[in-house]
This record gives sequence, C-alpha cells and structure tokens, in this order.
Amino acid sequence: MRNMTILVVDDDPVIRRMLEKRLEKEGYEVLIAEDGYQARKILPQQHIDVVLTDLMMPGSIGGIEVLDIAKSISPNIEVILITAHSSVDTAVEAMKKGAADYLEKPINFDELFLRLEKIANVQSIMRNALDLSQAMDTTESAAALTIQNLEIRTAELQSRIESIESILRDEQNPPYERIYKVLDLLEQTDPTRYPK
Amino acid sequence: MLKISPDELKLVAQYIHDISGIYLDQSKSYLFETRLGSIASEHGCNTYKELYQKAKTEPSKIIERKIIDAISTNETLFFRDKGPFELLQHKLLPELIDARTPGSPALKTNLKIWSAASSTGQELYSIAIIIKEMLPNISKYSIKLLGTDISDGAVAQASRGKYNKFEMERGLPGDKLQRYFTMFGDSWTIKDEIRAMVQFRKLNLMLPFAGLGKFDIIFCRNVAIYFTLPDRQKLFNKIADSLADDGYLIIGSTESLTGICPRFIPKRHLRSIFYQKK
Repeated sequence: MRNMTILVVDDDPVIRRMLEKRLEKEGYEVLIAEDGYQARKILPQQHIDVVLTDLMMPGSIGGIEVLDIAKSISPNIEVILITAHSSVDTAVEAMKKGAADYLEKPINFDELFLRLEKIANVQSIMRNALDLSQAMDTTESAAALTIQNLEIRTAELQSRIESIESILRDEQNPPYERIYKVLDLLEQTDPTRYPK
Repeated sequence: MLKISPDELKLVAQYIHDISGIYLDQSKSYLFETRLGSIASEHGCNTYKELYQKAKTEPSKIIERKIIDAISTNETLFFRDKGPFELLQHKLLPELIDARTPGSPALKTNLKIWSAASSTGQELYSIAIIIKEMLPNISKYSIKLLGTDISDGAVAQASRGKYNKFEMERGLPGDKLQRYFTMFGDSWTIKDEIRAMVQFRKLNLMLPFAGLGKFDIIFCRNVAIYFTLPDRQKLFNKIADSLADDGYLIIGSTESLTGICPRFIPKRHLRSIFYQKK
C-alpha cells in the first residue's frame, strides 16, 4: 500500500484497464473515470492525490479541463497528462497551467512509476512540513498568551512603582502621610493581595 | 559538508554580527555549516576562514550578500498568525483613519505603514489586501506601504510577488487566493492592483534609518529575536523615533519589550497586544 489515490481518466477501455492493473499491482489505490464528465463527478467527492488523464477525450471536457477542475478543488492534486506525440505542444501548455508532468503514448510504465514516486515524496515532505508548522503554531500561540499576560502585568506593576515613587518623593507631605498614601494605593490596585 | 573549526566559528559569528546584527549561537556549528558550506565551495574556499577573508575583501560584496541571504530566516506566511491582522483591520486602521482624516474633503488621508523585516513580502501583501478590502474609495487616501529586509534575495522575491505552492500552503483563505493571485504553472503571482500598493527595499536594521520619515504603524515581528539584548534596545529605540506619537507598533506574538524599551507601553485588544509610545 503506497498511501496514494490515483484517478485514471481515459476513454479507451483497454488503456484504462491496463493502467488500473499496473497501478494496483504497484500498490496504489486506483479510481476510474471513463471520460471527463465522470472525472468531474468523482473529483469533488473523493480524496485524490494524483489524476492521470488522457489529453484528448470525446466531449467538451478533455484533459486540460480535467486539470482545471482538479486544481480548482485543490492545488495539491497533481495531474499527469497522457498525450499522443502530436499533441506535445498542448501538454507543455498544460504544464504552464499547473500540470505536474506529461507522458507520451505508448505509456512507458517505468517512467510513470518514477514520476509517481517523485510526487509521493514531495507530498510526504509537504505533509511533514504541515504537521511541523501546525505543532509550531500550537506552541507559539500558547507561549504568546503567557507572554502577553506577563507583558501587561509587568507594565501595570511598573506604572504602580512609578506612582509609589512619586508619592514617596513628594516633600509637600510629611513622611507618615506618604506611607499611608502608598498603602492606600496598594490596597486599591491589588485587591487580591489586600482583601477587604 | 565542509567542517567549521572553533576558531572559525568565533570569527565567522563575529563577522555575521557585524554585517547583519544577527547573532548566531556558536554552539550550533551545524547552522554555520549547512548555511555557509555551499557558498564556500561555490567560491573555491577550502576553509571558512578563507571564505571570511574573501567576503570581507571582495569589493563587489557579492559573497557578503550571499552570506546574508543564507543566514537570514525567511520563514513567513500570508496572514501569519491571525491576531495582528485582525487587530489592524478592526482597531488600528479605523482609529488611525479617524485621527488622520483631514477636515476638508479635498485633502487625502495619509497613512504610512512599515514592515521592518518584510522577508519575502507576505506580511506587507497581507496588509495591502486588508487595506484594499477595507477602503473601497481608496483614491481618497495616500497610503504608503514600505517593506524592508536585509536580504537582497528576499527583497527581490518580495518585489516579484511570486510564490511557489509551499509558500502559499498555509494562511491564505481560498477566496483571497483566487481574487488577488494569478496562477502560472506551480507558482502564484500577486496581482498588479496589490503589487502597486507596496514598495520593497533593502535595509539593515542595525544602521541608521535615514530618510524613512515617521510611520503610523510599524510591524517588526520575529526579527529582534535574532539580535543580542543591546542590539534589541538600540533597534526599538530607533523604531520609537520612527513612529508617530499616536502610532502603533506590532511585534511578534511571542516577543516582549519588557526591559528592552521603556518608551513603549503594551496595550491589549482582544487576543492581541500592540505598543504605543508613552
């Protein structure tokens, strides 16, 4: 089990069957669509890692349209196009629109498996990075809350020290009066320490 | 990977501090090796001492720039940590706009915001997106959004506004992605309407902030953590000089100014903290 789900989209039943068998043998989870319309139905309903689609298919949903649909659902879905030699230019255009790769017919399976392996590696690194960053976010927000509380508390205490200092330095008042004033201030500003 | 000796560590750490203010922990030799090893081999240096001497004497400063690019951290995201952006949108901007709107409708409202360690630009673009969404009649305002960073590479990428999918992965809500970016291949480019609102340039925070003027809001998040305590004190003192009297400073959510700059007092809004001058 390779932990990757591949949607095969091809109107040719022979190629479809062959891809399905070979990919399953390699340990991939395989879903099948007989044309672009079926692919459009399946894509939003299932978790799919890679779409392997024929470029030219009957009807108005060809490989390029399947690519657009997949990328609009999630930019993380990788799309590999299968093309006839004559349509390589279109395939290159598709790469500009975000396709991961293209394969020329007849399909060389070693080549296909290599590309899938690469995609799997990148996706596992991405997942790992995402896990790490989520762990970092959690730690960071917990630390932030603690630091915020300390920061505000420290500022309050600092300003109280300043008030106390100015009372104590106020030579207009006799010393005992200054002391009473300070005690008053402490009582007002810290009810937890001086419960009534 | 080329190994670094203890003597070289001392030498290189001091050099990096001199050119960037960044203080790298000398007990983490792997940090120096992973970040500088390839620059050394690229320039045919067999030791880090050789690299240091070359970087110091080379007139074009190319190696020095590469070293700064390599050691400065560019971990940043669009809307990294929601708090500061909610704070900006719901409190700081509305208050500033009230305070800055001139009596005569013929005059524009001036606002200057600075992202002091803008890295690859995500923070400043996030700010620009918020402003764009908040102010439908944006032509009534004169808004200056400046991003600065010590790394030439980061400034260049920020100016291009082009990001790969790893850089887009988190933070950015889908609707904003569609609205403000154009996808091309595996990368995303910020649209011109947002790009035109911002400006990026190189600045070493350790040097004087000549000609920047005063800002209404300064973001200086997660950069002072790489500096020594005396350098932090100098930095925030200069930032206080560059901030309007009723302006706002936002630092990283796990940073503190206690014991660093008594000119600022912290204030709380919901789950965020911002600073104002006393």
